[in-house]
This record gives sequence, structure tokens and C-alpha cells, in this order.
Amino acid sequence: MRRAPGAGRFGATELTEEQSGTLRRAVRLEWTTIGVLVLIIAAVGLVAGQSQAMRTAWVEDMLSLLPPIAFLVAARIARRSPTPRHPYGYHRAVGVGHLVAAVALLGMGGSLVADAGTALLTGDRPPIGVLNVLGVPVWAGWPMVAVMVATSIPPVILGRMKIRLAEELHDKVLFADAAMNKADWMTGLATAAGVLGIGMGLWWADAVAALVVSTSIVADGVTNLRGSVSDLVDSRATTYDDAAPHPLIREVETVLRQQPWVLDVGVRVRDEGHVFHVEGFLVPVAGAMPTLEQLAAARQRCTDLDWKIEDVVLAPVAELPEDQVPC
Amino acid sequence: MLGEVVVSMRSCRRALAVAALLAVLGSGCASGFPKDPEGTLDRVRGGELRAGVSESPPWTEVADSGRPSGVEVELVEEFADRIDAEVVWYPGAESHLIRSLEGGDLDVVVAGLTETSPWAKHAALTRPHTEIETWDGRTEKLVLATRLGENGFLAELETFLVEREEGR
Repeated sequence: MRRAPGAGRFGATELTEEQSGTLRRAVRLEWTTIGVLVLIIAAVGLVAGQSQAMRTAWVEDMLSLLPPIAFLVAARIARRSPTPRHPYGYHRAVGVGHLVAAVALLGMGGSLVADAGTALLTGDRPPIGVLNVLGVPVWAGWPMVAVMVATSIPPVILGRMKIRLAEELHDKVLFADAAMNKADWMTGLATAAGVLGIGMGLWWADAVAALVVSTSIVADGVTNLRGSVSDLVDSRATTYDDAAPHPLIREVETVLRQQPWVLDVGVRVRDEGHVFHVEGFLVPVAGAMPTLEQLAAARQRCTDLDWKIEDVVLAPVAELPEDQVPC
Repeated sequence: MLGEVVVSMRSCRRALAVAALLAVLGSGCASGFPKDPEGTLDRVRGGELRAGVSESPPWTEVADSGRPSGVEVELVEEFADRIDAEVVWYPGAESHLIRSLEGGDLDVVVAGLTETSPWAKHAALTRPHTEIETWDGRTEKLVLATRLGENGFLAELETFLVEREEGR
């Protein structure tokens, strides 16, 4: 059964009305982000001149395009239904998008740190001259400061809007993107401070500002790399911000334990990107095999917990397999 | 009540920060903004402007007597008048002059340089003062070279160039 694009689903998982709306809003927000970023990149490129900090900020603006693109691509691919070739669906597209964005951030950030460090060590002194603005000579540093301050505001607003959606959708690419946007004002202010520093005759201010900005790019890269690799190697599912084990794990375990025929329970849950894959090992009371109806009911109780839980495999076992559910 | 106190303290602190920023900018404007890390403009104003010149007619020509002439030479003389400075000319080869500029032994170099000059890493090239069509049909923009990072001096020189463009 094929559904029209835009209909709310992640692979085999039907989204509720509410989640579909959230997904649509997130897609719209990311397109808005790309539009805003393109304008910002054009504006910063226009005034960048020879300031190292300005050029670093410019590259960072271009890099910020990656997470929204990764999100849009991943959200499109993850929508596909599972096939015989891809029985788990395409949810891992989210993790791959996350990893690609993280590696790009890390690589670019590293090269920018090297640039800024070299500029600082060799004592590069950026020249900033005068522009002819409608016949009036204006120091080129002023438009740089103005553009940096003006462009540091919209991403913060977009980031704040996106972080809420990232939690609802359990989307880590969206979260990484929102976190980067939210921190963007620091880049703007650091760069503006660097340019003002040049104006005050402190030639090193520019390179120091560039170093601060590029270090923050590297930090973003490391955080995202850690998060994406951790999910790709099937770590225990965590909350959207990787702060804690996901509470649903405990809830699944409790629901299964409440089944009257169940003596002991072991559960492992991995994050496929958006949705979870649950495997539950059940030790029946007094070694009596549960009926198929009892198993189906237990499975239903799990999937009723949350829209993220749909792919559930339950196995009755004589005793908990320690290598599959280590405690 | 407590909330109000916290809010007023925060806005107070913000006002202080803005005031401090304005004070810094204000003081910057009073003593010239942008400023030179090595104080070139302050030294040259009312003093000596050390100018390197390398021959590139019709922009620069150096007579056997050592007296330079040409469009760019006149440009520098005119600028020096404006900041009440006396030009001392140092004729020499372009690469040697640029190295002296880098080391701080010269303040400006005129040599019929163009915007696409490979010296951009070693000197701050000014905005173009003239645009010409070359014999092979390209457009070249002629510039002067100043010491890297001496933005006060550069801004003063470029302000002069802008005002000249505007016919003032």
C-alpha cells in the first residue's frame, strides 16, 4: 500500500495525527532554515573581506546547511516501508545523516582551527580598509559588525523552535541542528568582537575570535560524532538529547512484567532513528508455555505504549540469556 | 518581589554592558578608529611619510636625479598634503620595497601595482585609484600598497581615495 508523500509515517510506523503535524512543521522549519542560511551566507560573503574571523564565520554558516539537508534527506528516506531487502525499514538513514554531518563539522572545524592558529602564530595582520557607500567613506569593519549582529538572531529563534519538535519526533539530526542554531549567536558576537578588536589596533583579536569560533565547530563535531556512532553501534536507546537512557525501556519492561504468566523479563531496545526496535525475553511462570493469544496481547501492550514502538519481537525462554540481555 | 529585583538587576547589568561598549567605541572614535597596531598614522601626521617608488610609467617614473614623478607619485604627494606630512621618496626594486614595507621601514609603496598583484599576502593593497584596459583586453585596477594591519593609515588613505572618486 503506497501513501501520498507527506502522509505521516516512518517506514512501517504510522504516525499519529499530532506527530504527522510535527513532522510537517519540522520539514517546513528546515526549509526555512536553508532559505535563511542562504541569505546569511550571501550577506556575510559580501562583507567578509580579509578578516580571518569573518571567513571562519562564513564557512560555519555554510556548514550549518548540512544538518538541515541531512534531516530532509533522512526524513524522506526513512518514510519508505520495509522491503524484503530492508526488513528493518530505512530508519538508519537518520543515523547515517547524523554521522555525515558530524564528520563534516569535525573535519572543517579542524582545518579552521589550524588556519586560526597559524594566523595567530605568524602574526597575520588583517587589513580592513574603507568602502565607498553612496559617496561616503565608511570603514569596512562597521558593515561586518552590523551583518554579524543581525545574522546572529534568526538562527537562535529557529533553533528554539526546532528543539521542541526534535523531542516530539525523537529525531537526533534535528536536535543536533537545533543545538547548533541555538549556539549561533556566540559565533556572531565573537566575530563582531574580533572585528572591533582589529579596529582598536589589536591585530590578534581577529585570530583569537576565529579560534574561538572554530573550536566551537570542532566541539559540535565531536558531540555529534559520539552520538551518531553510539546509535549506529546499537547502544541502548537514549532520550533525543542523549542525556539519559530512554524511559520507554523501563516502561516496556514493566508492562511485560505485569503479564500474569510472566515470571521474569529481559528487554533490549535499540534506536533505529525515530523508532525503536524492541526485543523482549520472557520467562513464563512454572515453565508453562504461553498461548499465542497471550503473546499477541503482551506485544500489543508494548506497541500501545508509544508511537515509537512498533517493531517488537517477544521470545519465551527457559532462563534469561545473559549475553543478549546483560545486566 | 524577588523576581522584580532579579529582573531589574539583570537589565541594569545589560545597560552597564552597553554603556561600557559605547564608551570603548566612543574613545576609539575620539583617537581615531580604526587604530594602527604600530601607530603609523600618528607618526606620519605632521611628520615624515616614507614612500617607496619603483618605476612603472606612466604611474611612476624616477629621473636620473632620483626625483620621482607620475600619476601615483602625485597621488601620494596630494595625500601627504592632506595629513600635513612631508614625503621622503625611496626608489628601489618592487620586491625589495615590499619587503621594507613589511618590516616597517616604509609606509607606502607605489609601483603601478594592480589589484591582482601577488603581494596581497605581504602588503595591504588599497582600493583602486584608476581602472585601465590593458593591451590584451583585460581590465586592471591600479592600487597602492601599505603596511599590513596598519588600518588607521589604510583607512585615512582610502578615505582620501573615495573623496577623490567623488570629485571632492
